[in-house]
Amino acid sequence: MKKSILLIPLIILLAICIFTLIYLISGKDPNKPPSALLNKDIPKFITKSLYDSNITLSSDNIKRNVILDTENVERKYTLINFFASWCTPCKIEHPLFFKLSKEYDNLFILGINHKDSYSDATKYLNEEGNPYNFVGVDSDGLIALEFGVFGLPETFLINKKGKIIFKFMGPLTKEIINNDIKPLL
Amino acid sequence: MSSLVGFLCLVFAVGINIFLIFSKYLLKLKIVSFNILIRLSCILTLASFLSLIYAYLVSDFSNFNVFQNSHSDKPLIYKISGTWGNHEGSMLLWVSILSIYAFFFSFTKKIDLNLKKLTLLIQSFLHISFSLFIIFTSNPFLINSVIVHEGLGLNPILQDPGLAIHPPILYAGYVGYSIVFSLAVASLMHESNDLEWLSIAKKWSLISWTFLTGGIALGSYWAYYELGWGGWWFWDPVENISLMPWITGLALVHSLLLVKGQQILKKWIIFLSILCFSLSIFGTFLVRSGILTSVHSFAADASRGLFILLIFFIITGFSLVVFLLKFPDNNKPVKFLFINKVSALIINNILMIIATLTILLGTIYPIIIEVLTNNRISVGGPYFNSTVIPIMIPGFLLMSIAPVLSWQTNKIKNSYYYIICFILISVIILIQSYLTEFNSWGVIGLILGVWIIIASISAIILSYKLKLNFKFLQNINPHLAHIGVGIAIIGITCSSVFQKEYDYNLNTGDNFIVNEINVVLDKIETKNEKNFQALRANFLIQEENSFKNVKSGKNYYPVSKMITSEAGILHQWDRDIYFILGDQKDEKWFVKVYVNPFVSLIWLGIIIMICCGFIGVIRK
Repeated sequence: MKKSILLIPLIILLAICIFTLIYLISGKDPNKPPSALLNKDIPKFITKSLYDSNITLSSDNIKRNVILDTENVERKYTLINFFASWCTPCKIEHPLFFKLSKEYDNLFILGINHKDSYSDATKYLNEEGNPYNFVGVDSDGLIALEFGVFGLPETFLINKKGKIIFKFMGPLTKEIINNDIKPLL
Repeated sequence: MSSLVGFLCLVFAVGINIFLIFSKYLLKLKIVSFNILIRLSCILTLASFLSLIYAYLVSDFSNFNVFQNSHSDKPLIYKISGTWGNHEGSMLLWVSILSIYAFFFSFTKKIDLNLKKLTLLIQSFLHISFSLFIIFTSNPFLINSVIVHEGLGLNPILQDPGLAIHPPILYAGYVGYSIVFSLAVASLMHESNDLEWLSIAKKWSLISWTFLTGGIALGSYWAYYELGWGGWWFWDPVENISLMPWITGLALVHSLLLVKGQQILKKWIIFLSILCFSLSIFGTFLVRSGILTSVHSFAADASRGLFILLIFFIITGFSLVVFLLKFPDNNKPVKFLFINKVSALIINNILMIIATLTILLGTIYPIIIEVLTNNRISVGGPYFNSTVIPIMIPGFLLMSIAPVLSWQTNKIKNSYYYIICFILISVIILIQSYLTEFNSWGVIGLILGVWIIIASISAIILSYKLKLNFKFLQNINPHLAHIGVGIAIIGITCSSVFQKEYDYNLNTGDNFIVNEINVVLDKIETKNEKNFQALRANFLIQEENSFKNVKSGKNYYPVSKMITSEAGILHQWDRDIYFILGDQKDEKWFVKVYVNPFVSLIWLGIIIMICCGFIGVIRK
């Protein structure tokens, strides 16, 4: 066996240490969104509806709604929730969206179905109920990548200018909705 | 007072270890005094840890760590477990276990004295590194600057008997690899060609692996009934981190059990020993630096992360460089046959290493991507399920026949019997699942599990004469362990693939039917316990003529203002019925019920593996 093979573990070790070192020094916190995203425009994306692949929704729709439409829609905030049928914590927060959509007419709730199959997703929504105004498909995870989603569930609140004003990782709770989301609406 | 005693004991223990390292070059210490100093250092470290436990026991809130993590209302057991339920205390536990291992190792006989000294010196170096980490970045003996009479309480989710003993057992696994690591590195530095250290390493690696198995199982059992998500494995980063040294440890144990003067295996074993402990430290680093999000949310602090990263880099880097420089020369090439014990072992080892690398990649990939692109990506269950499981499948197939393979030839005894057996099992399970509920993963899992069990039992019957003594048990121990794996695989397959979920909105007194069993939501009551308020729904489950009670609900902890869910589980041998009480809405309670078939087999399989691990340690 050549000795050069033995260098591979050392190289891997070095690479791991360098990456984690940079990560640590840059002061990133996995519980907070990358600072680049907050108060920035939502990333560009286009998604097909889960129920009808002819209907699509894009980031431009969300922005345009906000600026051009009637008074009613002008106050429209968008809540984007990344979910999947395989994500157990998603089920915990799921019932809370029904409440939110009932209480806030001006809130557009967009569910992004992340890396899921059609049959699992529809079965999930049939069983748990569908609180979303629109369910978009993100089967390859590209939209989640654009939003910097780290783990499911993850929720973003977008204001009427199309900027991300709040982000939360993990299942929402009543307290978070009352303390953090409702004051922003 | 106890804080001062604890701190001084720890400092003295570090002092002794520093003295030991210098003594190698300055004084020629005799092995007797060397052993005594090692044991003294262990006693001092333990005294330090016990004084922290004492501070928790008497609720000494002048200690800042106790103030932050304890409360005088807590039950006794959680006062004790609160000692390691926080970052500082758990690191002290880490070092204490490290010194306990060194203590027991110092009694080892039948080993070259210089090799033993060198091993203990490496242990001393580890002790110093982690003790300095505690003293400088995570001191549990800091004094509270103001006088307080009540503490802030322990995270309620940790107030659970299973979780109270989970960290010590898990650490006994992680840290146990340090002995194997030190032995391997010492044998490289010592440059002796004898193989006596391998049989000593075998014992310690088996002990560590068994503890690690127990620790992981306790953690996942806790997740099963405490988190209330209906599952028991979530590919959470911390779970992945514990899985990596577990898999490499498994490869190490098997290589050590089968090493019979194979030079190539010796090198491989040294490499695996380094890898196992390095992954343990790396796991400690990932959890303690708060670099990954998970259920283990300890306060993150960049300086802590940097310190452990430095320790990890020095220890792993040093051992890999020693491995590179003192790499033993290859004397005789191994005779590779198409299928014999050695080649089966090597194939299995390669699969396990690939699986470990796959998990490692998935776990740190988000970090790499965020550093490179400032984007955050998610790597979850779908990645691990679709990569790790297929990698492991050939290994499972091989494992059932591996113990009956020969050392020297390609021939398998009774090979026709095994082939016919395998085909029969596959056909029966295929037909059975077509008639009931077909799922391809379900079929694969069931075939594998049943095949491993039947092949192992056949191997026992065909190869050994039944005797009722301990020697016989030792002989069939490897087969028994594999039967445990087979049982666990069946449990894992059934509980994940054939899990059923039901939702109900119920008034008290309503009855509903789950899987043909009549269940009544009997009553809902609140109770005030010592340190929490409990909301409990009582479910009456009708079984023929008798009723069984299952309580499910939530706990509210006023001190920390947290709510935890308490799943109610009806354990039956063939399925668990898992009740979760949701919120009340329009006078009706939301109730979620999971039916998890054959979950008990997972725990049964793991218990068998753990027992076999301990039997293997006793074996000579």
